[in-house]
Amino acid sequence: MSAFKGKVAIVGIGEVPSGKFPNRPCLQIAMEACREAILDSGIKREEIDTIIPTGTFFDRRYNTDMVFSKLVEELGLLKKTKNNFQVFAGGSSSSVMLKTACGLITAGLAKVVLCVQSDKVGSSPTQQMIDLFATFGIPEEWETPFGFFMGGSGSLFATRYMHETGTTPEQLASVMVSNRKWAALNPNAMLRRELTIEEILNAKMVATPFTTKEGNVLADGGAAFIVTSAERAKDLPNPPIYPLGFGSRVCHYAISQDMDLTRLGFYEASQEAYEMAGVGPKDVNIAELYDGYPIFPLITLEGLGICKRGDAGRFVYEGNTWPGGKMPMTTNGGMLGQGHTAAGGGVAVLVEAIRQLMGKAGARQVKGAKIAVETSMGGTFMDSHVVILGRELP
Amino acid sequence: MKEYRKPLPQPTPWSKPFWDGCKRHEFLIQRCKDCQRPIFFPKLFCPYCLSPNPEWVKASGRGKVYSYTVVYSYGPTEFSEDTPYIIGVIDLEEGVRMMSNIVECPPEKVRCDMEVEVVFDDVTEETTLPKFRPINERR
Repeated sequence: MSAFKGKVAIVGIGEVPSGKFPNRPCLQIAMEACREAILDSGIKREEIDTIIPTGTFFDRRYNTDMVFSKLVEELGLLKKTKNNFQVFAGGSSSSVMLKTACGLITAGLAKVVLCVQSDKVGSSPTQQMIDLFATFGIPEEWETPFGFFMGGSGSLFATRYMHETGTTPEQLASVMVSNRKWAALNPNAMLRRELTIEEILNAKMVATPFTTKEGNVLADGGAAFIVTSAERAKDLPNPPIYPLGFGSRVCHYAISQDMDLTRLGFYEASQEAYEMAGVGPKDVNIAELYDGYPIFPLITLEGLGICKRGDAGRFVYEGNTWPGGKMPMTTNGGMLGQGHTAAGGGVAVLVEAIRQLMGKAGARQVKGAKIAVETSMGGTFMDSHVVILGRELP
Repeated sequence: MKEYRKPLPQPTPWSKPFWDGCKRHEFLIQRCKDCQRPIFFPKLFCPYCLSPNPEWVKASGRGKVYSYTVVYSYGPTEFSEDTPYIIGVIDLEEGVRMMSNIVECPPEKVRCDMEVEVVFDDVTEETTLPKFRPINERR
């Protein structure tokens, strides 16, 4: 059933700091991330036969350049690289790029795949970017006329979730506290100041129950990772990180058409991924969860079986996901800490999972981590992706 | 009538009967002629059986609030003068879900599962938006 297990390995990562860097062109972001990933992997550049640049939001022309093989030329791989194509699902691009790379390598259609993400939504004209994100994924005929916008999207999930589970605003806010504690330890994060629950709840209300301190800040950023066969990984410097299981469900295009805003697809996706990997929630050492808004890590922790239904708020509030806690969660700080780099929000979380398993997470390193789960969501939280990664094969 | 500056729905060929209905203050949804299931948003083909025969039926216009948010700030510019305003996801009696505004309801009174009914807002000469108000707490 899982032909890729034990056959495919992630062997290198690269990442640039997230933030607002008006003088750092997007191509520089992509190239620095690629170069670092190549050097980190120890693989010869000429071995890269497939490049997958995921989608970029800030500029259509730059995005087209990525689709039209700009990176192949910049990396000096003309006539060597066989494929350059885009794999893009918004915030869940991380998981689908990795899944695509696994399929290609397992099928013998690629030997070394370089996946890369770069975006510049943080320092592009602010109003233009806000307008872009305010309306993307929101049906113009059925939701926009009522004043709905991306900034209010997490709120609809949270309101119903609080109604069904009794979770409190303080517990929701504690997700921010957790993510910011991790971001404070991450040199590549943009928002490194810790927050208190009082500060979060006393901030200006945006759309109930969330205040300005519970939303994303747009950032420039990018990251890359290299996937190859487990065989090729054997004599490379990093410990190979094995993709063990994938599970996913697409739950909606429009939020108002999702039948369960309190669960999404994480229950089904987790089961699928655990079964494929041959592990369960008790085996997970680190939960690298996609955030976006503080509600999503709670829904995800429950879908993953790490917390019982309705108990994730208490779990986070009591510090279990903080540095030193029993279930370290989103250890790069997530989009709520590292910054919202468009599709990069998810890629940064995946790269962090790999980094932790490789044992290279510096001040954030979770000692002895062997199994990590990475999750991601795209669009208006349209899909639920679960990826299980291991430092060893179970 | 004061000039209306907010975004308006641009109907598709298959959704036009819905908006035409709203204009007549009639609340319509689709039902598949073949598999009988209710359909919303309006669709060209039935999403359950891909039948090309969704037909229009009159809906009760009643439902319950599935979820909501009260927007206070940083919403779309065109809506800033309306803050705080309530966005609701409504479960209609017929078994379909839609987004709308909850009106005639103070923001602190809105609750999940609250019963609501449709009220038509003729925002321009051409367009009427269906909105919802509480059934029991109507003033």
